[in-house]
Amino acid sequence: MTDQSMLSDESAGKSKWYNAVDPITKLLFILDMALLSFAGTNLIMEAGLITAAFLLLVFSKISSTTVKALGFSLFLIFTMLVIQGLFYSKNQTVLFSVLGINFYKEGLMYATTLGSRVLVIILASGFFMVTTTISENAKYLEQSGLSYKTVYVLMSVCYILPEIMGNMRKIQQAQRVRGVNPQRTILQKLKSVLPVLIPLVIKTLDQSMTRSISLQLRGFDNPKRKALKADTHYRLAGMWHIGLTMIAVVLIGWKLWTKINGLF
Amino acid sequence: MDEDKRIVLENLNVRYSGMETSQLKNININTPIGQIIGIVGNSHSGKSTLCRVLAGIIPKIISATISGTYTIAGRSPMDDWTAFNTSTGVVLQNPAGQLSGLADTVADELAFDLINQGTSADVISKRVANVAAQMGLTDQLRQKPESLSGGQMQRLAIATAIITQPQILIMDDPTSEMDPVGRQQFFHWLTTVKDTTVFIVSSEIDDLCEVADSIWIMSEGELVSQGSPQDVFNHLSPEWQIPTPTVYQMAEKMNWRLTGDVFPVAAEELKEAFDATN
Amino acid sequence: MKTEPINRTSMWKFKLSAATMTLIPAAVGINYVAKALAEGLKLPVWLGSLGTFLASMLAGPVAGAISGFINNVIYGLTLSPISTVYAITSIGIGIAVGILHARGWFSSAKKVFVSAIIIAIVSAVISTPLNVIFWGGQTGIAWGDSLFAVMVANHLPVWLASFTDEFVLDILDKVCVAYLAFFIYRQLPQRMVRFFRDDK
Ligand SMILES: Nc1ncnc2c1ncn2[C@@H]1O[C@H](COP(=O)(O)OP(=O)(O)OP(=O)(O)O)[C@@H](O)[C@H]1O
Ligand SMILES: [Mg+2]
Repeated sequence: MTDQSMLSDESAGKSKWYNAVDPITKLLFILDMALLSFAGTNLIMEAGLITAAFLLLVFSKISSTTVKALGFSLFLIFTMLVIQGLFYSKNQTVLFSVLGINFYKEGLMYATTLGSRVLVIILASGFFMVTTTISENAKYLEQSGLSYKTVYVLMSVCYILPEIMGNMRKIQQAQRVRGVNPQRTILQKLKSVLPVLIPLVIKTLDQSMTRSISLQLRGFDNPKRKALKADTHYRLAGMWHIGLTMIAVVLIGWKLWTKINGLF
Repeated sequence: MDEDKRIVLENLNVRYSGMETSQLKNININTPIGQIIGIVGNSHSGKSTLCRVLAGIIPKIISATISGTYTIAGRSPMDDWTAFNTSTGVVLQNPAGQLSGLADTVADELAFDLINQGTSADVISKRVANVAAQMGLTDQLRQKPESLSGGQMQRLAIATAIITQPQILIMDDPTSEMDPVGRQQFFHWLTTVKDTTVFIVSSEIDDLCEVADSIWIMSEGELVSQGSPQDVFNHLSPEWQIPTPTVYQMAEKMNWRLTGDVFPVAAEELKEAFDATN
Repeated sequence: MKTEPINRTSMWKFKLSAATMTLIPAAVGINYVAKALAEGLKLPVWLGSLGTFLASMLAGPVAGAISGFINNVIYGLTLSPISTVYAITSIGIGIAVGILHARGWFSSAKKVFVSAIIIAIVSAVISTPLNVIFWGGQTGIAWGDSLFAVMVANHLPVWLASFTDEFVLDILDKVCVAYLAFFIYRQLPQRMVRFFRDDK
């Protein structure tokens, strides 16, 4: 959620294929991919899903956000492989040993399955993250029938965050001028946060008060409000929604069915 | 007198919830609509509070205990809030807080008020272009609102207030962050406004004297003086700690007086006083 | 024309007032900034729920829950996808803070400590199953995970190891956030507290 990446608009005019896909379709796609990856424990299927999501990213756009998200999870997946490979409760078959320490097949398989699911979700979300803009989402949500209030509550943070960050930098600079001692212990560090946080919170909330007054004066809740038509044209949005929702329902239903059957 | 053409405040008292004392004390006004009214006073004298009452923010949005009456052109915010609100345009003291917080561009920000009123798209684009030209924001229309400078932000705030063509315009210190040129342009623009009652809080006394029909002076929650700029600034009490306009100071030094033994407060009057003396 | 101050209504209000509508994005912004500050100072806590705490304290559990929910959804869709599922935890935190605050459990430094523990339990209880489903029980924080590894190596049940892992991290974080929120809330001007509390 850096200042630039959140609002950076697509350079106007050039429309790519993924701009014709509406945000809700992209979100449903994430849901379906996640459900698919949770449907079974078959590693070939997981590999297929990862490849599919990865290819989709390659054919749209790869951005640093996705790479960062991947970096963090890859590290976590690595520690997961170690911990589960060593200590998973169902461990039986030694797969290999390093310096006399045994790594077990069951734990490694378990961690690989979990790791693959995480990767599927991150890559599928990556497609949404890099191909939609905040303003597109905000406009689309209101077009889809959500009230301005709901869209506001959901999306406004993306617009006001740069302002909050700017205020924070100003306050921090002022603190630095006053000269703050270096902090070592956690308590000292926590205390040093207060002189920045208190004025920042007050300033931010003050701004919210003014904004709330202003929105009411400007008539945001006027029943006559009519959102303008967006200029983007989405193709086959309705069909995608129905199709992807049906897949999700089938997957959830199937999972529940097998769970219930498993109980008996 | 014709109630429909007057601004009437009778024995108005306002106390914010949780406060011990009143922030506005016994305000009485009875004056015609259609004027430009300059509101002057020191910090904490109650200027913003008075603006909030005039705009109906108190008690419609900020809760307060109020007594007395307020009507403008026969209307009160208590009767039909939506209709009253539609007829007013307000510029708050903090221009950044006035922005919607959900607009991609200056143009979107301007369109917001009209979209809320269900205006059609072609009317919106015409009015946006028109208002942007008036406020010198045409080159900024495609920029992000938060990228504007303080002065531009204030001009945007003014533009959002006037785009709905309100009959009543209430502006709380709208030029505080503008540079001298911007301020000059703004006050010149103000003289071109027609058929609108304008309330403007400002510390730019010289500019107010040039454009305002009336001046109200606030001191410690009371309306201590009201009348034409010439009248008011020739009868200041030192207790209010209000400076005199530059023209007045100059004329006082040169002893250039107008008929009635008063000092001029605006450029035109200064010329008149000069001619009368020489 | 005589208007009395509008009275406070029940803490469970589901129709968002215009004040709450602008409070929630601000709260999410504060969450983000507090988290960034903690990372910048290399604090061993997240602080990423400070805004949620404040929203709950100012406008009640519903506002807090929505702030928490939106926080994770936005975070998930812009930075870190998996954090979206922890929106459920944030909702729990928002509700817990709102109820505790309304019942007076944020009125003194001593009570805040009790509140922090309750909130940490709520948070850990909701997060543990998510940690197990997505990360085999880990939290991704090195020293919490070492504890987890030791417990699993000693054949303790995964859910217990995972809960311990999450809880030790949560208790530290929520104690810090609760005290920060307590101090900051006391510094807020009364007109602000009243504005967000009023039901309009
Ligand atoms: N929302 C509020 N709740 C309680 N008291 C308030 C509120 N807003 C203003 N006040 C108090 O009311 C008094 C008048 O304030 P007001 O903001 O109207 O002054 P002002 O003339 O606009 O000052 P400035 O020139 O600084 O803008 C002050 O004492 C102030 O502290
Ligand atoms: Mg003021």
